Amino acid sequence: MKRYAYYLSCINESMTKEVDRSIDLWQKDLGLEFVKLHESTCCGGSNLDYVSPKHFALVNGRNIALAEKLGLDLVVSCNTCLMTIRTAKKKLDESPELKQEVNELLKKEGLEYRGTSNVRHLLWVLAEDVGFEAIRQKVKVPLKNYRIAPFYGCHILRPSTVLGKDDPLEPSTLDMMIEALGGTTLPYEHKNRCCGFHTLLVAEEESLNVAAEALEEAIEIKADFIVTPCPLCHTVLDGYQAKALKHANIHSSIPVFHLSEMVGLALGYTEKQLGIKRHIVT
Amino acid sequence: MTGALELHTEEKRDITLRVFRFNPQVDSKPYFDDYTIQIEKGITVLRSLNYIKEHVDASVSFRAFCQAGICGSCGMRINGISKLACTTQVWDELSKCREAGIIKIEPLRNMPLIKDLIVDMDPLVDKMKHYSNWIETRMPESEIGKKEFLVSEEEFRKYDKATDCILCASCVSECTILRAHKEYVSPAVLLKSYRMNVDTRDAIHDVRLGELVKDHGVWDCTHCYRCQETCVKHIPIMDAIHGIREDAIEVRGARDTSGAKHAEAFMEDIEKKGKLVEATLPIRTNGVAWTLQNLLPMAMKMIMKRRTPPPPPLVKPAKGMKKFRELFREMTEHVKAEQKSHKK
Repeated sequence: MKRYAYYLSCINESMTKEVDRSIDLWQKDLGLEFVKLHESTCCGGSNLDYVSPKHFALVNGRNIALAEKLGLDLVVSCNTCLMTIRTAKKKLDESPELKQEVNELLKKEGLEYRGTSNVRHLLWVLAEDVGFEAIRQKVKVPLKNYRIAPFYGCHILRPSTVLGKDDPLEPSTLDMMIEALGGTTLPYEHKNRCCGFHTLLVAEEESLNVAAEALEEAIEIKADFIVTPCPLCHTVLDGYQAKALKHANIHSSIPVFHLSEMVGLALGYTEKQLGIKRHIVT
Repeated sequence: MTGALELHTEEKRDITLRVFRFNPQVDSKPYFDDYTIQIEKGITVLRSLNYIKEHVDASVSFRAFCQAGICGSCGMRINGISKLACTTQVWDELSKCREAGIIKIEPLRNMPLIKDLIVDMDPLVDKMKHYSNWIETRMPESEIGKKEFLVSEEEFRKYDKATDCILCASCVSECTILRAHKEYVSPAVLLKSYRMNVDTRDAIHDVRLGELVKDHGVWDCTHCYRCQETCVKHIPIMDAIHGIREDAIEVRGARDTSGAKHAEAFMEDIEKKGKLVEATLPIRTNGVAWTLQNLLPMAMKMIMKRRTPPPPPLVKPAKGMKKFRELFREMTEHVKAEQKSHKK
């Protein structure tokens, strides 16, 4: 069994509970064990870094230190949490002064940021530690009847100086995952584009335009569903779908699945077990 | 193995440049022309286009000048990504072709098209004017020409990278929000604005910042990092955008705009609960009326699906919150002390 510390993303604790629920269902099937970090806090959602760079370093230095205390890598299943925590790690690793300042405070909680734990996305762990071949062998219900549009989202790709796994403009890991699960991955121009989540509350019209474009292409290429490794992208593409498509005068709809749900389906779990029925578009 | 060896030793091959064509005075709609020419390894996309213009089809239109990645004239989309034709090797593009051996060349996005690969830069220049993308000196007129402005190395470092911008407009072409709304300030203008606002010689910081926080300004960026990823000069544009936001909160306060309120909410929630209180985030960002008008129909659907975020009292604080809050507040004291010493 491979063990990891698992970061609890705010959105997966509130609106997209199905993400963690589906991971809980299948983790053992793939020889994985995710130890939930109940002491971890909100990463700041790509906002805290400019509201207060110092608090940003403290909060995320602490999130990583919690994993380091267990001697485990930190696994994240939200793109923005991933990018945010990795950005903080980079800043701490590059600045001995900042690291010292953060550690002076963390000491009071019995923690220390050393920089020894890697911060990784669930998708990367599946691709690298389990491997596509091993996953292929575990598949019970191949997704052979499905044409799938892979929507990566931004913060698993960019900035590449912080992420650096996939080609930021021509990614392939999620496509390979779809193939490993027996599905057909579609050429999808919007696969590396933005969902518009981060401006939903400050520039709603722009966000809806952004989301509508991604949805429209997936509908046009006749995808059976969109899959995304990010619960924030899911919230826009599923939760705001009706609003975005109405705004763009498009009369259609398309289901959107989380990566964790797609894996669960191929491993033989039902839509009900995985929480797919909780989606707005079903 | 053989293929790799062949590629290594191969010096020339026939390659097709599939070029976007549109002359609004003649054509009813855009189309593509394929030009297949023999290209040597080491040749750039711009030299290939120049060859086509000189020897194959003189009507193909594009802008180019320095041929050395300095002037920023030859920005275009090559295999879908905005970049400079003069610094892009044909050979490097071969692995990125959707159809083997066919390199697709299109004009930059998000700007009006003039002809073929030429776009109209005027809307961008107008925005640079609107956001005062120049230094207005704070030196009294009586001293101009008599005194020098000295800039320390530390000061210069703040905008050193931003001065590398050659206005090629690749970032403008790749911008997600500009594509969604043409009034948006755009990344290049935000970068320039940041560069002017951190310059100690400048006198109109507050005026410029006042414009930047308005609608279609700095808070509308959706952090997609496409601008930064495609910048031909590798400028960390998002650092500049975040720099303006940090400055806006410091100078104008966190209650100033919906963008600032939204960002500040993260700070508040982390200190209180360690978790984001999503249920009240729309109200704290835009007020009750906006939330009811914009989110009520969706909230009903979410309630039906039991997807609504829990109300504030039901958001479970992170474990060990009491101790963490002490650290968080101690960091607040560090920041205050630092700001005080800065002001001195």
